[in-house]
Amino acid sequence: MNIRCARPSDLMNMQHCNLLCLPENYQMKYYFYHGLSWPQLSYVAEDEKGHIVGYVLAKMEEDGEDNRHGHITSLAVKRSHRRLGLAQKLMNQASLAMVECFQAKYVSLHVRKSNRAALNLYTNSLGFKILEIEPKYYADGEDAYSMMRDLSAFAAETPEVTENSDVKSDIITATN
Amino acid sequence: MPHSNSLPPKENALFKRILRCYEHKQYKNGLKFAKQILSNPKFAEHGETLAMKGLTLNCLGRKDEAYEYVRRGLRNDLKSPVCWHVYGLLQRSDKKYDEAIKCYRNALKWEKENIQILRDLSLLQIQMRDLEGYKDTRYQLFILRPTQRASWIGFAMSYHLLGDYEIANSILDAYRTNQMKGPYDYEHSELLLYQNMVLAESGQYERALQHLHKFQSQILDKLSIKETSGEYYLKLKRFKDAEAVYEDLLKRNPENVMYYQKLVEAKQLSDPDEKVAFYDVYKKEYPRAIAPRRLQLTEACLPAFESLVDEYLRHGLHKGIPPLFMDLRSLYADQSKADTIEKLIEQYMDCLSKSGTFGPKADEIKQPASALLWTYYFAAQHYDYKQDTDRALKYIDAAIDHTPTLIELYIVKGRIYKHAGDPVRAYGWLEEAQAMDTADRYVNSKCARYMLRAGHVQRAEDMCAKFTREGVPATENLNEMQCMWFQTEAAAAYQRLKQWGEALKKAHEVDRHFSEIMEDQFDFHSYCMRKMTLRSYVGLLRLEDVLRAHPFYFRCARVAIQVYLRLYAHPLQDVPQTQEPDTGELEH
Repeated sequence: MNIRCARPSDLMNMQHCNLLCLPENYQMKYYFYHGLSWPQLSYVAEDEKGHIVGYVLAKMEEDGEDNRHGHITSLAVKRSHRRLGLAQKLMNQASLAMVECFQAKYVSLHVRKSNRAALNLYTNSLGFKILEIEPKYYADGEDAYSMMRDLSAFAAETPEVTENSDVKSDIITATN
Repeated sequence: MPHSNSLPPKENALFKRILRCYEHKQYKNGLKFAKQILSNPKFAEHGETLAMKGLTLNCLGRKDEAYEYVRRGLRNDLKSPVCWHVYGLLQRSDKKYDEAIKCYRNALKWEKENIQILRDLSLLQIQMRDLEGYKDTRYQLFILRPTQRASWIGFAMSYHLLGDYEIANSILDAYRTNQMKGPYDYEHSELLLYQNMVLAESGQYERALQHLHKFQSQILDKLSIKETSGEYYLKLKRFKDAEAVYEDLLKRNPENVMYYQKLVEAKQLSDPDEKVAFYDVYKKEYPRAIAPRRLQLTEACLPAFESLVDEYLRHGLHKGIPPLFMDLRSLYADQSKADTIEKLIEQYMDCLSKSGTFGPKADEIKQPASALLWTYYFAAQHYDYKQDTDRALKYIDAAIDHTPTLIELYIVKGRIYKHAGDPVRAYGWLEEAQAMDTADRYVNSKCARYMLRAGHVQRAEDMCAKFTREGVPATENLNEMQCMWFQTEAAAAYQRLKQWGEALKKAHEVDRHFSEIMEDQFDFHSYCMRKMTLRSYVGLLRLEDVLRAHPFYFRCARVAIQVYLRLYAHPLQDVPQTQEPDTGELEH
């Protein structure tokens, strides 16, 4: 398994991985939009054959100088590649890039209320806090937790990335 | 614009309002103003008004009329740059880019310095990869608007894409030195990295390296600085410097395989034992990282391999890491390594079932019950890989007996049947797995794929429908989301079912996605120039240049070609074929 920053040529394969794993899907143009607006922020995990087994698709929310923060549009790890801690490693790389390149203060994401495994990863392994519940956030009517993680620690200790406790389950969903 | 067919002031004011309405997408109002001009018999054939009326109609979806009016307008005023520009825009909206380029060129004949037309032309030229034409147009824009940032960047890029690195670099240099010195920002940082890319592509690594050093304090993307300077050091054979850079990069990301490989290159290690020792260092340095442990297994030879893989397997089986086999599979290219793994797995199964330990020694640590489960799971995949179906089934059944609730086991059982050439039984086991976790789309997708392999197209669609938007047919949503794996598998399934029409339909849906993805780049030609993400933009252009080399396209094209050849050799009879959507079992 190899973890590296995503390139434009990875974006189609990220879309494929997303379609296999998650109910929230996007057309290619949206992937291009991410890759060409914030090229440093998206990461992939690939196997030895170069097939993408996990990815994080991330962006910056540019609402004002004081509120610069990153946002995780989508994060997925194939079920066949769970328990390697890939989601956590992908997230940490993306978060570091948010701080370095865009001076992000924090990173935010949404997660389905029913997705216990993802919630566990975000709260216990990655230090996210629940901000609020967004009712009926998802197309099928499910509520989302709106979560955020403070990144000031990243700013202080760059470039080393923290390696947190073992992740028992990185079963993931986070979208938009 | 001095023009023979100009309107008197009142009508001219109305005409300007049509243009404004077009820009603000107030098409209905635009038509109203056009009507006011055209209803006057003196101006009923006014070319530019007719053309604008056509363009407005096009935006309202009335394409046939649009062409009629635009062409009539143009016929009435062949020397009008407006009419030609409008005709160009109309063709462009129909994706007839070659035609549109011709129209813009005609427009420019009558008005050489129209910025808007030049910009539109340059976008089409880059989209069509008319790089020479693009360069000429960007030169014009540069001369006409030398104070605009995009003029400089586009001008430089046009030379870069033609491989004229020196000129591209000089333009970027000139632009940079003339820029206002302010606090440096992301866009500036990206511009510097783009210039560095130009230098590197010219093969002048020494110069690129100096450039990088000179400006590194102004570059925010620290990762790119390190990754590219590492490359340059290696190219320049400055191995000590390269070593330091890659050491540093590993601190940042100890799971990046390339960094280890480059570090091996920098340390000029070629002896396998040296490489094994090299990875020992990083295993200690980054105890949680997988990459150094796994890469070591690739380098190690027997007998050292045995103890290393033993350690690796025990760790994975103890922790219960489902992808352990997938992770090790590529080692099987070396028969002696495959044999070693088999010997160890057999030993684990034997000892675990007898004493709950991995080995026979007295001081072995007792393992959790799950260790035996994961060992069976590994053994099943191992024997499946060796095409020993009986053994594979024996161990997967042992695993299922041990823990009947583990979904992964049913997926593997399905895969064993798939490899054994029984797609029907294979999908049965996937259905089982899917039913155990209906909230997991990955299992759902796998199940649908297996159904398609077994020729059950309808059932596969129904399966996918559990995760597609409610209220629309699954196939429609999958098509909208460009879900190519499904469409490709469906095309192949229809082909096997001899439903040629359906097979072609699916193959063409995939082809259309590729056309869409080609179209997608259009907006980024100007977007990236504003955002300054020029390295990624060049990456996009290069991706699109070879887009249809993607395996998704290749697979689908193969189905389409085979079907077309078959239909050519055996044309369809007039008698309508009976076609049932889900004919199920196939001849295998």
